[in-house]
Amino acid sequence: MNNIIKFAQSATILPQWSPIFASQFHTSSALCRVVSGKYRITKKRDKPLTYEMANPPHYIAHRKSWNSWNTSSLKDGLRKSETAVEDEFIRRFITGTWHGLVCSEVIIKRQFNHIRVAVIIRRAVSPTKMYFLLGYSEEMLSNWIQCPVTLELQTVDSYQDVVFKYI
Amino acid sequence: MYTNLAIPRQWSRLACFCRSLTSVEGQKLPQAGKSSDGISPPPRIPRGPTDILQALAATVGTDPTAAHYKYHDDPYLIPLSNFRKRSYALSAEAGKKAAAWVRDQHPELFTTREWDPPMKMKTPYFNADPHIEAFAPKPIYNDETKVTEEDLVYTIKNALLEDAVKVFELLGGVDNVNEELKLYFLQLICFYNEKEPVSNEWIEERWFSTATKERQATTWKLGGLADKIFTSMDPKTPEAYCSLIKGMAKYYQAERAYALSREALENNVPLSTDVYNSLLVCIGFLKEGVTLRIEALLELLNEMNQQGITPNTGTLTSCLRSLSAWGGGKTLQNMALQIIAEFKNIGIEPNLSAYYYLLCLFCKERGPRIDILSGILTELEKKDTLEPEDVADTSFFITAMSVCSEHLQDMNLAERVHKLLMKGDNYKLVGDAYKESIYYRHLVTVACRHAPFERTMELLDTLIPNIYVPEPTVMEEIIKVLELGGAGERLSETWSQLVVFGHARRLRLVERLLDAMCACISYQDEEVKSKIRKSAADMLKFYQMVEERNENVTTRTPVQKLSAVALSNIIDLCSTGEEPESWEAIQLAVNELGSASGAGRADVISTVATTAAKKGQHALAASALTYLAECGFPEAMSASVDTLSVMLNRSTEEVETMLQGTDLQGKLQESAMAVVQAYRMAKTGEPLRERDSSESSSDSESSSDEE
Repeated sequence: MNNIIKFAQSATILPQWSPIFASQFHTSSALCRVVSGKYRITKKRDKPLTYEMANPPHYIAHRKSWNSWNTSSLKDGLRKSETAVEDEFIRRFITGTWHGLVCSEVIIKRQFNHIRVAVIIRRAVSPTKMYFLLGYSEEMLSNWIQCPVTLELQTVDSYQDVVFKYI
Repeated sequence: MYTNLAIPRQWSRLACFCRSLTSVEGQKLPQAGKSSDGISPPPRIPRGPTDILQALAATVGTDPTAAHYKYHDDPYLIPLSNFRKRSYALSAEAGKKAAAWVRDQHPELFTTREWDPPMKMKTPYFNADPHIEAFAPKPIYNDETKVTEEDLVYTIKNALLEDAVKVFELLGGVDNVNEELKLYFLQLICFYNEKEPVSNEWIEERWFSTATKERQATTWKLGGLADKIFTSMDPKTPEAYCSLIKGMAKYYQAERAYALSREALENNVPLSTDVYNSLLVCIGFLKEGVTLRIEALLELLNEMNQQGITPNTGTLTSCLRSLSAWGGGKTLQNMALQIIAEFKNIGIEPNLSAYYYLLCLFCKERGPRIDILSGILTELEKKDTLEPEDVADTSFFITAMSVCSEHLQDMNLAERVHKLLMKGDNYKLVGDAYKESIYYRHLVTVACRHAPFERTMELLDTLIPNIYVPEPTVMEEIIKVLELGGAGERLSETWSQLVVFGHARRLRLVERLLDAMCACISYQDEEVKSKIRKSAADMLKFYQMVEERNENVTTRTPVQKLSAVALSNIIDLCSTGEEPESWEAIQLAVNELGSASGAGRADVISTVATTAAKKGQHALAASALTYLAECGFPEAMSASVDTLSVMLNRSTEEVETMLQGTDLQGKLQESAMAVVQAYRMAKTGEPLRERDSSESSSDSESSSDEE
C-alpha cells in the first residue's frame, strides 16, 4: 500500500494529475476521530468555548453548520484547492484586520461570483472606525479575489456573550 | 481535467450563436402577424441582461422602517442622527479609498489571478478572466512614466483630468499630439474647466458633498491650457469651436464666448444647437435691463432660425433659465409662457428643469400667489417615467415642495408632489443628501401646519428616523403639532428622540418641549403622566451631567443651563405624581432654581411648597419659598402662610397672628423658621437677620447679588 502511495506522490509522468491521484488516498494517520477539532479540558475548567467550538466535528450538519459554504467539493466541482487557500487567506485577513475584535469563526459563503463573509465582532471600537474597516476589508478582499466581497457583521458587547460553556 | 470541459463550453457558445440566428432549434421565433392555425403568439420582446433582476426588484418596495442599505444591519451600526448618517457612510468610503490607494501604490501585490483554474494561466500578471477593470490597479502617472497616446485615450475616456494633463505634457504638449486626440483632450478640459471632478466611484462623497449653490461667477481659466490647444489647432474644426464656446459659456466667460461665436459665424463655421443653448444662458452677462435682454434673446433665437438649426428641449430650458435669472415681474412671466407655447407648437415639451425655472420665475417669496404647480403636476403625472436630462432636473422636486410649503401652503399639492417622487424610480431625481433633507424639511413643515393630525403622525412615523432626521426648526414644528393634538405619549417620547438625534443640548427646543408637556399634561392618562414625569426628570439629570462635564472640560461652546422657567416647568410636571423619583427631581430642580437665569413660575413654586409641606418634606418647601421671596414675588407671603399652616397644623389666621409676634426664635423647628424668614423677607424686602437656613438659598442670594 505504502509503495503505491509513494509512487503516486513521486510520479513524474503526470505531474499535473498528481493532486487528483493523491486525493484518492489518505496518507495521514487517522487522528481525526480522536483529536482534531476538539478541545482539551483544562484543570480548572475555565477554558471558554463558543457554541461552534463546543461541538466536535461529527456534529457538523447535526448541531452546527459548516464554516465554508461552496460547491467546490461537489462532483465536478471547480477550484478545490484554490477555494480552500482563498478561504484561509480571507480568515487570516479578517482576524488580522479586525485585530482582537473577532469573537467567532469566520464564515465564508460563496454564491455565484459573490463571497459573503460573516463574523461576530466585539464592540470595542467606535462605529465610525468599524465602518472604515468594513469598507477597507471589503475593497481589499475584492481586489485580491477579483469578485464582490460583502462583510456581514454582527456585534456583541463582549467576548462573554459568545461563550457557550467552560471546559 | 479541464480540457474535456472545453468542448461543452464551445458547444454552448455555438448553440448561443445559433439561437441568435432566429430559426434554428426547429422553432421559428414568433413574428407579429397571424399564423395559419389562428394562434398568434405575441411578438418577441428583446430583453437586456439585467431586465429580470429589475423586474424582480420592482416588486419589492423600500422599507421605511429599516435603515438605508448602505448601512450595516446591526443595532450598533445603524445611525440615527444626521451627523452619524453622514460620518458612517463617509467612513466606509474612506476605508474603500484607503484600500484603493494601497492597491494603486503597490500593484505588484495584486497580481494574483483568482478566477480561472491555474492551468490556463497565460501571463504571470492580471490574468483574471474576464478582466475586470474595477479590480485592476490604476496606473499612476508621474514625470518618469513612459507614456503613449493610448494612455492619453485611457485617461480621457475615464475623465482622469489631472492624469490626462500630465500625460499630455509628457507626450510633448500641443506640438506633438495629433489633431484628433487634441480635440478629445480639448473637449475634456472645456467640460471640466481644468478642474478634477469627484470620481463616479465615490458615491457617498458625491452624495454628501455640500451642495453650495454654484456661484455664477466667471471661473473660466483665461489663457489656460484650453486656449493654448485651441490656438495650436489648424485647421480649426467646428467641433473645436463648439467645445471651446460651450466651455466658456458654462463657466460664465460670456463675452469671450459670444465673441468667439461671432468669429465662427464670420468664418462660416457651423455651430451646433448646444452652442446656441449655452449662449442663451449667457445673455444676462452681456446685456443690462429686461427689455434689452429679451431683445437679445429673441435675436439669438432668430439667428438660430436663419442658420437652419433646429432647437431642442435644451433650448427651451436655457431660455427659461435666463428668464428666471433676470428677476420676476409680469413681462418676464408672459415671455416665458409665450416661449413655452411656441415650443409646444413645434412639438417640444418642457422637461423637469424647464419646470424648475418656471417655478423659480412665478413663485417668488414675497410675490403674489400663483398656482402653476398643479398644472405642471398634471402634466408630469401623465408620464410613465421621468428621465433626467439636465443638471437642474434634480432641483425640481425640492423647489416644488418648497413652493407647496411656503408659497401655496397646500398639503394636497405636497402629497401629489411626494407621490410623484415615489413613483417608479423617480426617487433618483431627489438630488443629493442636502437636497433630500431640504425636501423633507418642507414636506414635514407643510404637513405639520396644514394637514390633519392623524395624517401628520402617519407621515412622521414613516419618515423618522430612517429616511429623515428632523432639524431643530422642524422639530419645533413637530412639538407644536403634538401640543395642539394633545399627544402626551408622543411628547414624552420626543425627549428620547431629541437625545438620539443629537438635539438634546439645544436649550430652546428642550424648553419648548417642556412648555408643550405642561400645557397638555392635565388631561392625560395616569400612565402617560408618569411617562412624562420620567422624561422631565431625565432632562434635569441630563443637563446636570452636561454641566459637570462642562466644568471638567472647557469646550468652545459650553451648553447653557436650563432657565428658571424650564426648571419650574419640570417642577410642575413632576409634582403631579407620587413616585419618590419625581420628588427627588423636584428637590434637584428647586436647588438649581437659584442659579438659573430668569424668574421661575411663582404659581407653580408656591403650589409645590404647599404640597411638599403636606408630604412632610419641610426643607424642600422652605427652600422653594425662600427662592420665591428672594425673587420678590407677591405670592411669597400667602404661600408662606399656607405652608406654615400645613407644617404647624394650624389654621391660617392663627399662623398670621403668630407671625405678627416678634420672638419666634427657638420655638419653631429649623425649616419652619426658614419659612418665617421667607415671609418676612417678602414682606419687608429684606431678611430680619443673617440667614443660615440652607445652602441652596445662600447660593441663590449670592447669584442674585451678581445680577
